[in-house]
Amino acid sequence: MVKSKLFYAVIIISIAFNLSLNGQNLSSTVHNLSVSGPGSIKATSETELCVFCHTPHNSSPRAPLWNKSDPGVSYTLYNSSTSEAAIGQPDGASILCLSCHDGTIALGSVLSKTTDIGFNSGVTTMPAGESNLSTDLSDDHPISFIYNSTLAFNDGQLNDPSALPQYITLENGKLQCTSCHDPHKNDFGNFLVEDNQFSALCLACHDKTNWDISSHKTSNATWNGSGVDPWPKSDYTTVAENACESCHAPHNAAHSQRLLNYSKDEDNCIVCHNGNVASKDIQSELVKPYSHDVYSYDQLHDPSESGTITTKHVECQDCHNPHQVNNITASAPAASGYIEGVSGVSTTGTAVNPVQYQYELCYKCHADSPDKPSSPTYRQIEQNNVRLEFDVNNPSYHPIEAAGVNQNVRSLISPYTESSIIFCTDCHASNETGAPKGPHGSIYPQILKYNYVRVDGTSESSQTYELCYQCHDRNIVNGAGRFAGRIHRRHIIVDKVSCNTCHDPHGISSSQGNSTNNTHLINFDLSVVSPYNGRLEFVDQGSYRGSCYLKCHGKTHNPKSY
Amino acid sequence: MKKLIALIALLFLTTTAFAQITGSAHDFSSESWNSSGEICITCHTPHDAMTGYEPLWNHEVTASTFTLYSSSTLDATLGQPDGPSKLCLSCHDGTVALDNFGGTTTGTSFITGDALIGTDLSNDHPVSFTYDASLATTDGGLNDPTTTSSGLGGMIDADMLYSNKMQCASCHDVHNGAGIDNLLVKSNASSALCLTCHNK
Repeated sequence: MVKSKLFYAVIIISIAFNLSLNGQNLSSTVHNLSVSGPGSIKATSETELCVFCHTPHNSSPRAPLWNKSDPGVSYTLYNSSTSEAAIGQPDGASILCLSCHDGTIALGSVLSKTTDIGFNSGVTTMPAGESNLSTDLSDDHPISFIYNSTLAFNDGQLNDPSALPQYITLENGKLQCTSCHDPHKNDFGNFLVEDNQFSALCLACHDKTNWDISSHKTSNATWNGSGVDPWPKSDYTTVAENACESCHAPHNAAHSQRLLNYSKDEDNCIVCHNGNVASKDIQSELVKPYSHDVYSYDQLHDPSESGTITTKHVECQDCHNPHQVNNITASAPAASGYIEGVSGVSTTGTAVNPVQYQYELCYKCHADSPDKPSSPTYRQIEQNNVRLEFDVNNPSYHPIEAAGVNQNVRSLISPYTESSIIFCTDCHASNETGAPKGPHGSIYPQILKYNYVRVDGTSESSQTYELCYQCHDRNIVNGAGRFAGRIHRRHIIVDKVSCNTCHDPHGISSSQGNSTNNTHLINFDLSVVSPYNGRLEFVDQGSYRGSCYLKCHGKTHNPKSY
Repeated sequence: MKKLIALIALLFLTTTAFAQITGSAHDFSSESWNSSGEICITCHTPHDAMTGYEPLWNHEVTASTFTLYSSSTLDATLGQPDGPSKLCLSCHDGTVALDNFGGTTTGTSFITGDALIGTDLSNDHPVSFTYDASLATTDGGLNDPTTTSSGLGGMIDADMLYSNKMQCASCHDVHNGAGIDNLLVKSNASSALCLTCHNK
């Protein structure tokens, strides 16, 4: 008798144990809406787990034996200028998820019961919050679209679906909620089908060009705890671990198009590039008096915009491609890793993507665009298109695209020579040593890296023309001798004439100037220099020789020669 | 130990006491279409049973072709209902009269309401498919029926499958042996019946 009781006891305990094992996965998740559920949203007395979604008979839709009504609403769909997918109204498995997660149908409303299953705290439909996607799906990753080889090819940055890992499933060729989420299993949080550390799940589909070399993939930088937490929803602590989600949110994104974490373009970058995550503080550069003022524009940048910018704006993403940016250095004029993968405009004015040379990026806005910034100096020859100013066919130009015209520049400081090529950013950059490279901001006008005084009548010092003196030796420029002494020393030191009065630092377009009057970057500042007898010109007379016809500081040059 | 014995007793009481076909949904002894007043006769006969059907079958069998369940996530191979399921459907598909038993083919009473499954089985849990260890492995969300306890005393395959197939009788006991609503073979509290096979 005792043996018999023990026998039954063993059997019953093993059954109970087995049942609990069977239910372990789902029952321990918040999708266990029964009275035994672990979450705060659960039924008051219903013990069944499956019933909230499934019924063995009279299901609708038929598979997978669904037990809830179709919401029957029209959803606002995701829309992006860079999306190639044909995104339709949610269907397949996705509409099943939405029968709770759009917040329109009571959680306890099931087909198999005539009255709704009661929920704690009077909950009926999905309470507001992360789990309630609402009927506006424009801020959620798109679903219910065909993901095939054609889409992958057209997009250019998606893996071919034949290469998807086994854990990602398409339903009848379509990406659905269930491609990323397994409603029955929550091993990785958010019911994801795979751990998304390093964005492994995102990258199973998304194949971003050059992502492998991107600093946003490789950086182990962490948040220093100051300011805003860049990863409020994540347990991961490094840039590399958070990867895509450092900038993007698959659901309820603050900015719908491209699913960004912040509605203002620059906030997505600055939340890290303010010294709190990234080692360099870009934010403090951008708030300087002269900057590429990304704060002044909102939602004007579009990755699909034409090469030449037609609506004036500047955003971080105009100059940086966050999927490709890296710290690989380059020699002028080649584009460095900081601007890897961005679009631009070539020397001939045609759109290029990506840029090969740094100046091509600058030409995107400072060449053929309307509303581009104008020259700060009122010159004899006006030209605001820097692409034309730096053209290699010009009578003179600073060597941005190629080595300069003048093969005898004695003032050059080593390592510069007549065959050197320089970056735009050698002159236009932060005024601070150790600051992040590039023209983010400066205390000097035109975002110049060093002081450069244009005002006539300023006493010369090493600071006055600090910018020029970085390459051109101050002592040689203003030295003794027939040329330096009579021309530069006389004008710059004695008469307090700015370099800028006679020289146009970018160059003189061949369409306006010529190799007689506009060599050596000569293009007079009309606020200082005026014609004499209707004549205002410099005439090149050969090496270190020239004549000027003009009136300046009340003095007539008719001509004055050297 | 006393507590354990009490628990065992309670379990047996709640699951087995008073469970019988008499008074259940399958007790048709008082139905107008069953003039015999008997219970068993609508399905069984001790003599001259229909050939080709077990057990001692006495009711006209459906000739319907059924629309089967299909799903992108289904790994089982479904066929037309067979075995005991076909016998259930001989009333529940609504094509054969309830009173077409004992050789009668001119009955006029048909099943109605929730019990009417119809010939479209695509919105019903699939039946008549082989459920073996191989299917469990392929699906990944099913328990191995050969090693998983049914909760009824033995393993799933022994207690709930018929020739290794999942059938209506896997979930339903037509004779109301367990005395549970919907004639279930065991309680579905906490979805225990579903989770016997489904490993979610």
